Amino acid sequence: MRAVTTAGLLTLALVGSTGLAQQAAAPDKYVTREEHEKVLKELEAIKARLKVAEEKTPAAAKETEQALDEMDKELKSVKSLATSVLPGSTKQLLTGYAFAGYTDRKGEKSNFEAGFNPILLWKLSDRLFFEGELELELSRNAEGGGETEVELEYANLSYIASDYATVQAGKFLAPFGTFAQRLHPAWINKLPDFPLPFGHDGIAPNSEIGFQISGGAPVGPTKFNYAAYVSNGPRLNTGMDEPEEAGMLHFDNNVDISNNKALGTRVGFLPIPQLELGYSFQYAKIGEDVDASAYLHGVDLGYVRDSQLLKGALDLRGQWVWSTVDDLTYDPTGALGFGPLSFDNKRDGGYVQLAYRPAKVNQPFIKNLEAVGRWDTLNRPDDAPMGVDEQRWTVGLNYWFSPSTVVKAAYQFGDRSDRMNGQQDVNAFLVQAAFGF
Amino acid sequence: MAKPVCLTFAASALVLAGCQTSHSHRAGGQATPTTAAGAGQKGGSQLWAENCIRCHNVRSPSSYNDAEWDVAMHHMRVRASLTAQEHKAILEFLKSAN
Ligand code: HEC
Repeated sequence: MRAVTTAGLLTLALVGSTGLAQQAAAPDKYVTREEHEKVLKELEAIKARLKVAEEKTPAAAKETEQALDEMDKELKSVKSLATSVLPGSTKQLLTGYAFAGYTDRKGEKSNFEAGFNPILLWKLSDRLFFEGELELELSRNAEGGGETEVELEYANLSYIASDYATVQAGKFLAPFGTFAQRLHPAWINKLPDFPLPFGHDGIAPNSEIGFQISGGAPVGPTKFNYAAYVSNGPRLNTGMDEPEEAGMLHFDNNVDISNNKALGTRVGFLPIPQLELGYSFQYAKIGEDVDASAYLHGVDLGYVRDSQLLKGALDLRGQWVWSTVDDLTYDPTGALGFGPLSFDNKRDGGYVQLAYRPAKVNQPFIKNLEAVGRWDTLNRPDDAPMGVDEQRWTVGLNYWFSPSTVVKAAYQFGDRSDRMNGQQDVNAFLVQAAFGF
Repeated sequence: MAKPVCLTFAASALVLAGCQTSHSHRAGGQATPTTAAGAGQKGGSQLWAENCIRCHNVRSPSSYNDAEWDVAMHHMRVRASLTAQEHKAILEFLKSAN
């Protein structure tokens, strides 16, 4: 009973106190009309300001963007001005490439090799330009000792005479076919070695010493390019120095053996930007003490397609070279020990190469891989002292670390045949790492 | 030996040219409009994409600064027999993208 009374009293007390409290808060709960109007006005003012600010924002952002763009441009021009006044970096560029390789060929000793080709480019004016390349390679001399060979790969001055013509004088890469001039540097060539017609003891020139005029011009949607040159040209080996090489043309005619110069040309046609077809020709008087001429012809094809459809890049190259040297009798008196010897001095050779790189596949490792296949051949006269015919199939796999850094591995199925030894298998395993800088 | 090889070259060139035309038809507007416009109308980036993959992998525009591209592009103009207009447009593109 007592408990009930206490609870009742407590309830009453509580109700009473809330009532009191309500009464005390009442004057704060209501605003006067004036106050209400004031708040409304302030709200209107804030709304208006917000609207103005909202309207202003895109314009302000645009202004900031423009200002940033201008600053960017300014920064770029200052940067290029700064780099252009740095001593040494103005108009010169040191570039080139280096490579390291390994070859294990049947019938030969396996070998590691290395090469370094520094190139100096010098823009002397908007029209005048110098390019020079040294080739440093390791070799063995006649006594069997080690040697570093230094070759002047090229050194020439060029002058842009018009929009469509450039004149060049000095030693330049031969515009005979496209391999020598465009594809031989180790970071460009997709296999560790050169195709037979352009390699050691090949049948096409790699460089010329003389002068040339070259250029290109669009014709409607198609394009032409051309090169024509006068040079020292090749020299015929008559068997005086190396009897086994009698009848061969040597293209390293550094100091001309005669007053007759070689004349050469190449014309390229691009019906579409991805495809180029070329024809090359060279005529030269070649003998020092014999009256003989050499005629070289070549055709080349290049097709490069980089497409989404193929998920990468396809690269097809093909070249063929024909070489004809006038008939001669070598070692006519027999004094050199192998004559008198005469043969039909016609040679031909070429290659076809196909490469595919799935560069557009979204797989970091796969997109840097490239598969290459090449077939190359070289036919020499059967009756010549070194009348060897060669034919090879090469398959290769490359991994590209950057656009100019590559590691290549290849296997070559090679055949050599001549009258003396019949057919020989010269299969080889080749590896090369190359870096263009 | 000589004749069949020559013919193979000519034939493959024709086949390739044929492939190309059909591809560019299919590609419609999304790919580079290659054969439609003459070199005169092409922009720097298109000329760059078309010309600079012909012999070697393309190096990124950012691999050189403006002064270095001046020298390398002069080199390539001579090596690749580019016209003055192509040279100028590609150089401008490289300088804007490096
Ligand atoms: C006709 C073939 C060909 C075309 C087309 C070509 N290049 Fe080259 N490029 C070469 C060769 C070959 C070299 C290596 C030079 C050497 O070793 O003599 C090279 C080297 C380079 C280098 C290294 C620096 C130098 O100048 O040697 C750069 C950078 C370069 N090319 C950029 C370009 C750009 C950009 C284009 C597009 C305008 C282009 N190339 C188009 C053949 C070509």
